[in-house]
Amino acid sequence: MSTETSQPILALREATTVFGHGPRATVANSRVSVEIPESPPTLINVVGESGSGKTTAARTLLGLQKPTSGRALWRGRDIYTLSDSERTQFRHEVQAVFQDPYGIFNPFYKVNRVFDIVVKRFKLASSKAEKQRLIEESLEAVSLRPPDVLGRYPHQLSGGERQRIMLARAYMLKPKVIVADEAISMLDVAVRAVIMNILLDFKEQLGISTLFITHDLSAAHYLGGNIMVMRQGRVVEKGTVDDVLTNPQNTYTKLLLESIPSPDPDSRWKTSASDLEVLEEQAGVSQV
Amino acid sequence: MTLQEIGASLAGSQGEADTPAKQHLMQIRDLDIHFRSDDGGLARVVDGATLTVGRNEIVGIAGESGSGKTTLVEAILQIVRFPNRETHGQVLFSTRAGKQVDLMQASDREMQRLRLDEISYIPQGSMNSLNPVVRVGDQIVDGMVAHGTNARQAKRRVTELLDRVGLEPKVARLYPHELSGGMKQRVIIAIAISMEPSLIIADEPTTALDVNVQRRIIEMLARLRDEMKVSIVMVSHDMAVHAQLVDRVAIMYAGQIIETGAVRPIVRTPMHPYTFGLMAAIPSIDKPRTRLDGIRGSTPSPRNWPAGCRFHNRCPNAMPICTSVPPLLAPVTPGVRQTVSGEIEVHSGREVACHLYEESTPDDARVGEGAR
Amino acid sequence: MAVMKIIRSSGQFRFGITVLTLLIVAALAHEWLISLLIGDTDPRQVGAYGILESPSRNHWLGTDPYGRDWLAMNLLGLPSSLAVAGIAGIISTLLGAIVGFYSGFAGGRTDAILRTMTDMLLVIPTLPLILILGSYARGLSIVELALVLSAFSWPFAARVIRSQVLSLRERPYVELSRMSDLRNRHIIVQDILPNMLPYLGIGLATSSVGAAFALVGLTIIGLAPSGVLDLGTLLSLALEWGALSLGKWPLFFAPMTLLILLFLGAAFISQGLEEFYNPRLQGRR
Repeated sequence: MSTETSQPILALREATTVFGHGPRATVANSRVSVEIPESPPTLINVVGESGSGKTTAARTLLGLQKPTSGRALWRGRDIYTLSDSERTQFRHEVQAVFQDPYGIFNPFYKVNRVFDIVVKRFKLASSKAEKQRLIEESLEAVSLRPPDVLGRYPHQLSGGERQRIMLARAYMLKPKVIVADEAISMLDVAVRAVIMNILLDFKEQLGISTLFITHDLSAAHYLGGNIMVMRQGRVVEKGTVDDVLTNPQNTYTKLLLESIPSPDPDSRWKTSASDLEVLEEQAGVSQV
Repeated sequence: MTLQEIGASLAGSQGEADTPAKQHLMQIRDLDIHFRSDDGGLARVVDGATLTVGRNEIVGIAGESGSGKTTLVEAILQIVRFPNRETHGQVLFSTRAGKQVDLMQASDREMQRLRLDEISYIPQGSMNSLNPVVRVGDQIVDGMVAHGTNARQAKRRVTELLDRVGLEPKVARLYPHELSGGMKQRVIIAIAISMEPSLIIADEPTTALDVNVQRRIIEMLARLRDEMKVSIVMVSHDMAVHAQLVDRVAIMYAGQIIETGAVRPIVRTPMHPYTFGLMAAIPSIDKPRTRLDGIRGSTPSPRNWPAGCRFHNRCPNAMPICTSVPPLLAPVTPGVRQTVSGEIEVHSGREVACHLYEESTPDDARVGEGAR
Repeated sequence: MAVMKIIRSSGQFRFGITVLTLLIVAALAHEWLISLLIGDTDPRQVGAYGILESPSRNHWLGTDPYGRDWLAMNLLGLPSSLAVAGIAGIISTLLGAIVGFYSGFAGGRTDAILRTMTDMLLVIPTLPLILILGSYARGLSIVELALVLSAFSWPFAARVIRSQVLSLRERPYVELSRMSDLRNRHIIVQDILPNMLPYLGIGLATSSVGAAFALVGLTIIGLAPSGVLDLGTLLSLALEWGALSLGKWPLFFAPMTLLILLFLGAAFISQGLEEFYNPRLQGRR
């Protein structure tokens, strides 16, 4: 049993995922490795642009995309060969918040359904009253008022409200890890801060780790923790957010950092256009 | 006189209404765009928008989803005509010939001539609307030919246009699917400048592009303004892009323009509580890692704007008057002023619609002050 | 209920449902209606009335060459046509749905096997098969007839349903249900099925009508393996008798009109469903 606690709760080991065959095959992930320890609660930012493979890595860890080679492990066990009861526990411990707050709800049902399903499946409450209390507590944890959202249909709520309901649902389950795949990119700016703060609170107050997938380096900087930069299916740089963002080792990371527009007009891009070209060449970025 | 003009003359500053129209490339005046639904309800998607665009400047229109910014630019160009659309107000555009045309009253033929020739439009996601079966060079030519350019002349210009947007001549022979997102966007911009318009309207031109590509596009747009003496209206929800690109910015909330001015003071020392909340919610690598505040509540819907100031139910500085009297967008008196950003030095050219600043409050609504 | 919403919002749906309901009511009450017209007489009795009479107060559609009241005959044939159409439609949609759902959702080898089976059946030329069947089997009952017809149409339904399921399967809410550890069968019933209802409705309407017309066509060629008197039979008789050239219009147009009404009812229901569920067709919704 002591070996169990030293296992990371979630891990990718040299995971490679290839779509299609032959000359038209695309390598979505190439030997990607990442680990989320059981404790202390950790926040890992997975940063990359389109085509970097970050979403594929997330889906592999969520059991939605079996890797072509390499392994995706939960508590040391292969996610894709779990028994039914093991899988139930896996699903209890590893939860997700997806990108699209519109598509995540089945338009047929009221939003309550997402709570009802998990309460029932994971036996989170033993009586109706207890269930109601749990739902209300979860909504309040994400600053939603229960009467504002319960009993409504998804189209009656805003994107930010819907995403918070997803977080409330995760809160109910008290998972070990939340995989947030571009959870804020379809939300308004003001709401993004609210969602990120909830994830930070989850980490500090509930000990929940987050794997935060994003293309927004500023968000990664805000969340802190660790960072993994991906490009065209490969991990090009890993480390703590502070280290990597102040002292990037990889040219591509440097290129990304140099390109972020700052909301401060006085803080213009530091590299000149010609230096940027040099960086682009070094990073092997073709004429954009 | 409109209320705004009254406010401007009372405040003593040179209101926009005084400046001779010839100086402005485009003046949006009190523009309303409402949609009437089948059950009789009215969605007031844009209300009373007033904005001027000068020559050779980049003006940003900033706002989140539901602010009305895309509807505003679409309506200016008469791009979409929904049934049940009701519009009031004017959009005065100074043509190359020296005439002033109200775009809202212009005929279809006039609009067709103006589009591309004098006003170019780059809609959101337009890089995906290139014809997939035509080489991009030919698509550039097609645009010009449709506006009366001789085909041979048009073909000659393609290389020059591609160079302007930082693409190699050989790109002309490629098909859209052979280009990256950034390259496609540049082709769209090349088409947009092909007739040398005086105004380009771009809706979210950098969204969905990789961040390094975004920087290139932003720098290119600034360069175009300098080289071609063209004005650009850029619509975006990304304040950082505004901060790095535009000269002036107009902030929209709930269908109304609530703050305008040079980008630097607006972004660094905003006066409107919404702008303040917005800027405070943006993470940035330059900022220290302290907790960001969001803006509580959510954007209201156009069928049901709140009474009075549309932001009042989310505003941390709301006062009783805010719940009943809509504030006016009015020029702010220059000088040292007390604002939500603390005590700041205000220069002329800023406008704000907020009861915290007395210019925005109509005379008859001022309590205990008496009309000036 | 969703049905009430559709009825309220789609004029096409209302029209289709009305027409279909009238037909069904007429079919269910056909005995009573016939007795209203001709009392106790068996409508099939030869020589009950005068031959080839024109429409009159006694015989609203006149009589046929065998002296039978034509309206009564049509009322007799209507239930059979509707029954065959309905049963064939339900069976083929049900079978197609089961195969399509399972195939589309399970994916992998199961999908490959089922798909191959379905495609094989699709490729088999149906007409020759039915002709062969027709030469061997005589006097099939309505249900047996419906079974034969649905055996040929279920692969179409399966294919269409499968591709719908394939696309629905990728929806984010389906992935969320997987995150909630819901088993496949629950996901199919709770998440996918409700979003498939419009397609199933349309499929049911189309295959029912398809079956009815297939039967009519076969009857007219004279090769239907049927012992049933239905509208198709009446129509083929009318053609045999040369009703049109004799100027006896009702003999031809009565069964034809009823068949057209059946088609219209189903078509408008389909259109109404599509109009309701497809946001792009809804104009300003």
